[in-house]
Amino acid sequence: MNFRIFNILTAILLSMSAFSQKASDSLSTYQGQNLLQINGYQRILQNLEAVPNGMTFGGYAEVLYNQPESANGEIDVQRLILLFGYKFDDRTQFVTEVEFEHVKEVYIEQAFVNYALSNSLNVRAGLMLVPMGIINEYHEPTTFNGVERPSMDNKLVPTTWREIGMGLSGRSDALSLRYQAYIFNGFLSHNGSGGLIKGSNGFRSGRQKGAESVFRTPNLSMKLDFYGVNGLRLGLSGYFGKTQAANEVFDTSGSTVGMSMLGLDARYSYRRFTARGQYITSSIKDAFQYNQLTSKDLASSMAGYYIESAYNLLPITNRQRLFAFVRYENFDTHKSVPSNVVQNPSFHRKEITTGLSYHLAPGAVFKIDYQNKSTAIVDSNKGQINMGVGVWF
Amino acid sequence: MTSLITNFFIALMCLLHTPLDFDVSKLVQKRMQKEITKVFLCKDFDLEEVTGTPGFQFQNSTYLTDHQIYKINRSGELLGYAFLGSAPSKTDTFEYLILFDQNFIQKKAKIMVYREDYGGEISSNRWLSQFKDTTLGEKFVYGDNISAISGATISVKSMTHSINYVYSQLQRQLAVASR
Repeated sequence: MNFRIFNILTAILLSMSAFSQKASDSLSTYQGQNLLQINGYQRILQNLEAVPNGMTFGGYAEVLYNQPESANGEIDVQRLILLFGYKFDDRTQFVTEVEFEHVKEVYIEQAFVNYALSNSLNVRAGLMLVPMGIINEYHEPTTFNGVERPSMDNKLVPTTWREIGMGLSGRSDALSLRYQAYIFNGFLSHNGSGGLIKGSNGFRSGRQKGAESVFRTPNLSMKLDFYGVNGLRLGLSGYFGKTQAANEVFDTSGSTVGMSMLGLDARYSYRRFTARGQYITSSIKDAFQYNQLTSKDLASSMAGYYIESAYNLLPITNRQRLFAFVRYENFDTHKSVPSNVVQNPSFHRKEITTGLSYHLAPGAVFKIDYQNKSTAIVDSNKGQINMGVGVWF
Repeated sequence: MTSLITNFFIALMCLLHTPLDFDVSKLVQKRMQKEITKVFLCKDFDLEEVTGTPGFQFQNSTYLTDHQIYKINRSGELLGYAFLGSAPSKTDTFEYLILFDQNFIQKKAKIMVYREDYGGEISSNRWLSQFKDTTLGEKFVYGDNISAISGATISVKSMTHSINYVYSQLQRQLAVASR
């Protein structure tokens, strides 16, 4: 009897020790894997291995706090973007980004198919970003300094500017050149009941964002990027075309305007120092007729620039980076106006932004800055403190 | 305007119908032959795969997801080595080639296949030339002796890490093998 109990106990003990052995084995294997996991893109790769059918997941997000002088502050999940990609084969990919703005507004930021004709030439079609300046294409929070995007990339270049279209993109390795050329659906200037575009922020309210867009006249968008000098990247962008108008007003004079926008941008990086700058100019044809029809205050030209420099305060070999930066912006959405509009000095903005970007890891950043905003009106200075967290993975 | 769109589509259809060989391994082999011809100035070489043989036994890592190593011979004489590696870009992998002379001095680095749009700038011959004429003892530091490319940071770092890893592995393995 005792012998039998002893046997059973031994069996239980043996099985328990075997179990614990197995458990510690799997634990050490797990830790070993953990040591290998370092970066976001590596995790994505591991995800890709786990999902072998070509799915990609990613995203970026910005949670921001704006505190103007003597007014309420605003705390906002400004945007949360979820990226999904699917690779059908080595030539054919689909990329989409679903955007949540201020938690409750849902948009599609990108949704296009990319077909690689060769290593250096792609055909793309769908909802795509318009390549204009730096920020519209590279707007993930870890890629720029400052809590908020530069203001001219809101009022002058209506970031995030995306429309439905198709075209070509590619690069030349010998020339260190990237090129893009697309035909896009243009802005909507008149929706049948009133004009949408105006003096304070140009074309911003005319973006159709791929939602039941009105289309009659195609617009042409192009960009060249040159990166053949070490540390330097230069961009030249152009956008030419005409706005769209609802059927009931399309033939009415002034319901649509002709437009062109040109951009020059530069980004430079040398060791711990980085700098960037951008110049945008835009001219509008038939602004007089448009204002007459809609009683708006659209300008006949808009222009502006910003320059920014930053210095990484941490050693270059550190994984973390801490940039101290300063940016100066000067732009005018009423650079010149047709005779039926009075030039508004408050549309000529000057902003100085200075602060810190603390990159905790590649893909995660804490930001804080102070902005001084003024216009061409005397004593229009206003200060604002911003803080934010940003991620990109 | 309608005719412009029609023409655009016709041109596009023609492009899409061009028969293009896109078998990646075949494509890489073809491009590798071409680069060797350019660098070693000869066509009559043969390639001997030495992946996994003494001196070339190394593990893949997060920075090197796949690799192959070849000896480049010409009528029995060793001209140099060809290293094919895969490394991660933001959401995909890319293939690159490094050519060494017989003393493992780097003669050329080239991106063979880059699949993503994002970060494709690392294929720039100008940027890759920063690795030229380096020996296996060299250590590359992003932002220090390897310059940044704005808008391609992830791939620039990945390529830099990958080459560092390959150099250190080759150096160690060759030292062990020659002992």
